[in-house]
Amino acid sequence: MRNVLYKEFKLSASLLTYFFIAFSLMFFIPGYPILCGVFFVTLGIFKSFQNMVETNDLVFSFLLPVGKKDIIKGKFLFVCIIESISLFIMGLICLIRNTFLVDSTVYRQNFLMNANAFALGVAFVMFSLFNLLFVAGFFKTSYQRTKPFLVYLITVFMVLGIAEALHHFPGLAFFNAFGSEYLPIQLMTLSIGIIIYLLISYLAYRLSCDRFAKIDM
Amino acid sequence: MNVLEIKGLNKTYDSFKLKDVSFSVEEGHIAGFIGRNGAGKTTTIKSMLNLISIDSGEILYFGKNLKDKEREIKSYIGYSSGTISWYPHKKIKDIIKVVRRFYDSWNEEAYQKYLRLFELDENKTPLELSEGMKVKVNLLIALSHEARILILDEPTSGLDPFSRDELLMLLKELKKDKVAIFFSTHIISDIEKCADDIVYISKGQIIAAETKEGFIRKYQRSNESLEDIFLRLERGEDNA
Repeated sequence: MRNVLYKEFKLSASLLTYFFIAFSLMFFIPGYPILCGVFFVTLGIFKSFQNMVETNDLVFSFLLPVGKKDIIKGKFLFVCIIESISLFIMGLICLIRNTFLVDSTVYRQNFLMNANAFALGVAFVMFSLFNLLFVAGFFKTSYQRTKPFLVYLITVFMVLGIAEALHHFPGLAFFNAFGSEYLPIQLMTLSIGIIIYLLISYLAYRLSCDRFAKIDM
Repeated sequence: MNVLEIKGLNKTYDSFKLKDVSFSVEEGHIAGFIGRNGAGKTTTIKSMLNLISIDSGEILYFGKNLKDKEREIKSYIGYSSGTISWYPHKKIKDIIKVVRRFYDSWNEEAYQKYLRLFELDENKTPLELSEGMKVKVNLLIALSHEARILILDEPTSGLDPFSRDELLMLLKELKKDKVAIFFSTHIISDIEKCADDIVYISKGQIIAAETKEGFIRKYQRSNESLEDIFLRLERGEDNA
């Protein structure tokens, strides 16, 4: 598996995937829908899938002494590693904003979503949607990427919109809590996000394996 | 000893069908797989590599079923296609750096030897290589991991007569090392020059799978050339 993963990073990946991880830094921007950063990271991963189709990566992988499942496992590990690095950066920013920068006026007067545990939980959910709707969707055909990406795009922006709007409803202001306010409930939303990510990503992996097994290259 | 054995292979598409395809390739033999465009050559080869799922039949390498021992069997196979190239913008040496990790049998000496012999520049990308050179890169990989069977899908397509001749000579050399070679072509002179055996496919069905001499003996009328025989068979004037 190490070799398959090595191939993913050295041959299959688009350079843009790595550059687009930097969009995680959007979690620092005040007065901006920070969850757009998650979308841009997935857009970077999408570029790798595009690269994969254009360079005959799947057929090449097939000819190596590996099984069909190994190929899918390699792709998912690659995607999850990129997502994990981004989530780590976002998590770090959440921590900084809620500790060292907790008194910063620009963050205090933020009308849009704060970079807090809830936002991070939503980021986990958004990545899980990418894995399910785009990655598993792509493996229905192994070449068509626009349609599954559009399905993901529409869904993820709906989720983003709902997440951004939530704290404006009466009684739900805790979703946008800052510093240590509402920390237990904030951490609970983060935990739910992580659980959703793990479950949906695994489901997406299994679905991809089943779909890929039926594909003729 | 049979390196490859295909038994009763069937695969149905909406507009095309492979019907009961059976043949074998022996160690140290060059088998030419001939048929006109659309006869089923590439579909058969894709089945042999598990690139497509088959409806029924068996594909055995060294007596082992491809379905059960896919990883092990693939480490014995070298594949090259005259029409596909991988990672057009990556340097050859970067591709090789990744590929060599997959094979325990990777032979660095053989790699250096064939790199020189093929006059390949590792710093070039596939995009910068001619069609003939691309085939050589695939052969370089196959020979460096000491593949015991080479499956070549139209390796001479797009090659000039000199490069074609060079490639066919190389295949003859490899045969001496007991490598089995299975190559598809629609160029009959390729078969004449280097094949020991002929597998002839038409409209998804194997018409003949035997030694070249046996095939000529069976199908030749008066002093017909191999090309004349195939043309007559394709026209449906078969009277073996």
